[in-house]
Amino acid sequence: MRIEKREVKGQPLTVIIEYPEWNESVEGLYKKIGRMDLSFTGKCENRSVNIGVSDLYYVENVERKLFIYTRNEVYRFDGAMADIENVMDETGLVRISRTCIMNTDHLREIRQMRNSHLEAVMDNDEKLIVSRKYLPDIKKIFKRKNP
Amino acid sequence: MKRILRDTCILAALMILCVFTVSMIWVGMTDEIKLVICLFILSFVISLANYFIDEYTTLPILGCYAVKYISASGIVMLFGFIAGWFYKSNFWMAFIYVGIVLVMAYFVDAFRTKRDIEFINSKIKSKTVRE
Repeated sequence: MRIEKREVKGQPLTVIIEYPEWNESVEGLYKKIGRMDLSFTGKCENRSVNIGVSDLYYVENVERKLFIYTRNEVYRFDGAMADIENVMDETGLVRISRTCIMNTDHLREIRQMRNSHLEAVMDNDEKLIVSRKYLPDIKKIFKRKNP
Repeated sequence: MKRILRDTCILAALMILCVFTVSMIWVGMTDEIKLVICLFILSFVISLANYFIDEYTTLPILGCYAVKYISASGIVMLFGFIAGWFYKSNFWMAFIYVGIVLVMAYFVDAFRTKRDIEFINSKIKSKTVRE
C-alpha cells in the first residue's frame, strides 16, 4: 500500500482511497477512516458542541441521563446508550459496565482492587469501575488494535 | 486449545440433543430423555439467573460467587424437588453439586481475569513505548 500526503490550503481534511478492486480490506480501511471522523453532539450550558471520538473519554448513564466526559469537560448527551453502541465498531469505544462506555484510546491501566473489583485508570487520572463480564470485550479491542 | 475445548462442549451438547431428539421420536419419552431435557432447562435457568447477577450487581468476585452459589443452589433444589431428584433426606446434596461446579468456575474466572488484565496492560505499555 502506498501512502501519500499533501498539504492543500483552504480545503477540509480529505482522504482519498484509490483501489484496484473493492475487497474486504479496502472496505475495512474505508470504515476505519469513516469511524475516525465520528462525533457526538453534547450540550453544555445551552450550547451544542461536536465531540469527536478521539476527544471522548467515557460515556456514563447517571439516573437515566447520559453524559459524555472528555479530558476536562462534561456534556449532556440527548441520545441513548444504544445510539453509541450502534456506531462503536472499529473505534476504541467499549462497554465496561451496564452504565458506562469507555474509550480505550485513553486507558492507562486496568487494576484489580483488593476487594477484586476492577478499575480502569484513564490518562487524566479518572478511575472507572469495570464489570468483570466486559473484560473480554476490552481484551478483544486490544487484540484487534495490536494483533 | 480454549477454542477446541469450547467447540467440543458445544458439539457434545448438540450431539446429545440430536441423539435424544431422534430417540424421543422413535421410542417416546424415557427417563434418560427426561433427565437430559431437565438438565438443559436447568442450565438455561441458572445461566439466566447468573446473567442478571452479573448485569445488575457490582459485587467483588467472591461476593458475586457467593450470590451465585445461593441462587444456583436454590434453583437446583427447587428443580430437584419438582423433577423428583431430591427427597427431604438428601436435598443438601444440591449444595455440594453446585459448590463443586462453582469452586471450579471461580478459579477459572480468577485466573482468566488476571491473565486478561496482564494482556491489556502489556498492550497499553507497548503502545506507550512505541509513541
